[in-house]
Amino acid sequence: MKASPFTATLSALTRLRGVLASLVVYERDGIVVDSNLQVGQKGDRVAALAASLYRKARLSARAAGLGRASFMQLDSERGRICAAGHGDLVLVVVAEPSANVGLIRVEMLKAVEVLV
Amino acid sequence: MADDIRRWSDELARDPSSLVFLQLAEALRRRGQLELALKIAVRGLERHSHNGEAHDLLARICVDRGDLQRAFDEWDMVLRLTPSHVGAMKGLGYICYQEGRRDDAEKYLRMAAEHGGEPEVVAALENVRRSGPVHASTVSALEETHHASSDDPRRLFADLLGDHDQTALLLDAQGLVLAGIYVDSEAHDVSQEVGAELSGVSDEAQRASRHLDLGDWRSIVVETEVAVIAMLPAAADNIVMLAASRATPLGLVRRLSDRCVDRARGWLGGGGRA
Repeated sequence: MKASPFTATLSALTRLRGVLASLVVYERDGIVVDSNLQVGQKGDRVAALAASLYRKARLSARAAGLGRASFMQLDSERGRICAAGHGDLVLVVVAEPSANVGLIRVEMLKAVEVLV
Repeated sequence: MADDIRRWSDELARDPSSLVFLQLAEALRRRGQLELALKIAVRGLERHSHNGEAHDLLARICVDRGDLQRAFDEWDMVLRLTPSHVGAMKGLGYICYQEGRRDDAEKYLRMAAEHGGEPEVVAALENVRRSGPVHASTVSALEETHHASSDDPRRLFADLLGDHDQTALLLDAQGLVLAGIYVDSEAHDVSQEVGAELSGVSDEAQRASRHLDLGDWRSIVVETEVAVIAMLPAAADNIVMLAASRATPLGLVRRLSDRCVDRARGWLGGGGRA
């Protein structure tokens, strides 16, 4: 399979401890552009829900007068979803609850710059 | 309450720079232990001299002790630090009226009314405008606003947040504000608007967590170019929303959010009383 411009970035993110999946998706419709998933991860479902959540957070923050959203993190009982947007694309990471979210956030904010 | 005081005392002993002195001194003030409350507030201010809520607390303790001059100085300092602080405006109006300075009292009460003071403030202002000599009903109304301030739902999180670049709301499942306040950069209360806009995010978070088999959602944090917003579920489908400036470390946002949730649960469990 031919590598996309995002393959190396996604591969590096998925190598971080506790990361189960990383994806680049279209924010508008949640379609996957590229992904790096561990076994058992459902890429399409993650993409659709994460993109929808990020879009909602971005639009709500803007409507509330809080400016442009740059990063979002959802913590749940059994996992975390992090998302960072750039243009019409969103970089999404799914991680275990025990993952180092500080490191994931830093790497995502660096990586999101390649989403052009 | 006694358990809280013991816990806050322990926390302050462990970390003398903790802002928990605000809760501790306020609890002692409410119990009438004014000298101890004064001591703790003064010590706290030695470490947090630019904290408006700490000066506000000390002013209220001074009023309860009958030291109006010192209370005036402290509320004056609050307004220098936080020009939109309604509690300080009401307090200054109360002191000026007690001292027979009706013009000054009217000035401060007018400021408080313009910044969203309660109906009692407006009533007191009308009384000040009408009355010649000091009028008993005006003093009563002002005392009511002074004593009501700590039980005002809008101040539910005030002592937890301390600095004025952090604010928190408790929202119900429909996005309506139950407690807390959100004041924008122009000192307007925009709590309802912000609450309504952001409450839908938690519904989306719940949906995503459920469909991805992640269990119950615990928090969602959104970073924007001007703020960090944290939303956490409180009891019975209610949500705590904390907003802080971008300069606030994310770890502190999380810590403050957890404390606000604890406070909200206690408040809801008590039927909406502090």
